[in-house]
Amino acid sequence: MPRAREAGAKLWDWPVRLIHWSFVALMPMLWWTAQHDNISLHKRLGLVMLGLVVARLMWGVVGSEPARFARFVKGPRGLMAYLRGREKAAAGHNPLGALSVLALLGLLLAEVVLGLVTQDVDGIESGPLNYLVSFDVAEVARHLHELVFNLLLGLIALHLCAILYYRLFKRDNLLTPMVFGRKALDEGMAAPAMAPAWRALACAVVAAALAWWLGAGAPH
Amino acid sequence: MKFRKIALIAAGCAVVAGGTLAIAATPSDVISARQANFKVMGKAMKGSFDEIKQPAASLEVLKTNANAIAGAAVKVAAGFPQGTGPEAGVKTTALPAIWEKPQEFHADADKLVKAAQAYQLAAASGNLDAAKGALMQVGGTCKGCHEDFRSRDN
Ligand code: HEC
Ligand code: HEM
Repeated sequence: MPRAREAGAKLWDWPVRLIHWSFVALMPMLWWTAQHDNISLHKRLGLVMLGLVVARLMWGVVGSEPARFARFVKGPRGLMAYLRGREKAAAGHNPLGALSVLALLGLLLAEVVLGLVTQDVDGIESGPLNYLVSFDVAEVARHLHELVFNLLLGLIALHLCAILYYRLFKRDNLLTPMVFGRKALDEGMAAPAMAPAWRALACAVVAAALAWWLGAGAPH
Repeated sequence: MKFRKIALIAAGCAVVAGGTLAIAATPSDVISARQANFKVMGKAMKGSFDEIKQPAASLEVLKTNANAIAGAAVKVAAGFPQGTGPEAGVKTTALPAIWEKPQEFHADADKLVKAAQAYQLAAASGNLDAAKGALMQVGGTCKGCHEDFRSRDN
């Protein structure tokens, strides 16, 4: 589909796409490694996930326009106005989809934070910050780490259903732009501004440093 | 004669009472008791690992934890009488394999007891590196048994 690849305005820049597809790859790997008791690999991948979540949150503040929370997250009034058709969404996430983005990123953040302090049933394999909490707190974290994982599965299913709904009933292909980055915008929609690469690099360095530091047990 | 009769009745009562007591230890009691015992070891393992992460790990703390593990380890094997598996209808992660391969299960329990005693000795010897090494050995015996005889999902 060369048209889909080349036509339209730049919507999702490479940091957004790279992070998004890394989430997709990491989720099954994290599940698989935990299920097969390969907790040391699970923790390393989990720290990569942590870095990506942090980078995405930073990109939501200083990144390209379509990635920014301030642009697509609307209050309840803005959401109602959009749902009633009184207000049009800008290119990218609409105000309803924004809730899904917030919920997914929020749960991912909760999941990695819980992972830092959780422990295996026998108290042997544990997250790098487990030593800062008591056995009982870590047990609660373990149950929550499992619960939030199941919530994530539910939201991911909803996310896929929404994409399918847009494709089938609204004739709006959301997948191709997330792969190739470009999308034909509606009449009158302004092409969003993209942030320079050095900012992405700066976010990546900060996020990686944070993940490394937490992974080392937050030495001070 | 009368005295004998009374003694007999009393003895009979004692047997019945004793029997009821034994019956009173229902599968669910046995399962909670063994889980509580495992938890003691879990806490002591975490206590040990937390301690060796400290810049100046205290052998005293390791010794206390080693004693707790060794004390609980000897009770592990007896915690799994017939009828206390998944079929008891109580929440347990014990696998039926425990009763299908009792020799292997008891061998694993023995390994734990020996490793725990070695950890006790190493911690008491005052050699931190030896204590750490022995602690890792204990961890290996926990994992070894859990892989074969305990399910992940609960
Ligand atoms: C001989 C086999 C065996 C060994 C060795 C063993 N475990 Fe277990 N462990 C089990 C089984 C079986 C269960 C499941 C018990 C149940 O749910 O009824 C269990 C459960 C546990 C639990 C969960 C208890 C609960 O609250 O449900 C903890 C914690 C635990 N073990 C810690 C340890 C630690 C720490 C060690 C090593 C120091 C260890 N175990 C060694 C067989 C073993
Ligand atoms: C989004 C990221 C993550 C996902 C989706 C995830 C998922 C999971 C799942 C499904 C389990 C098994 C739960 C169970 O059934 O018992 C698990 C266990 C575990 N995770 Fe994560 N995890 C993530 C991040 C992390 C991080 C960042 C760490 C620490 C660095 C971590 C440490 C652990 C540990 C120590 C366990 C073993 C605890 C247990 O036995 O339940 N995880 N994780």
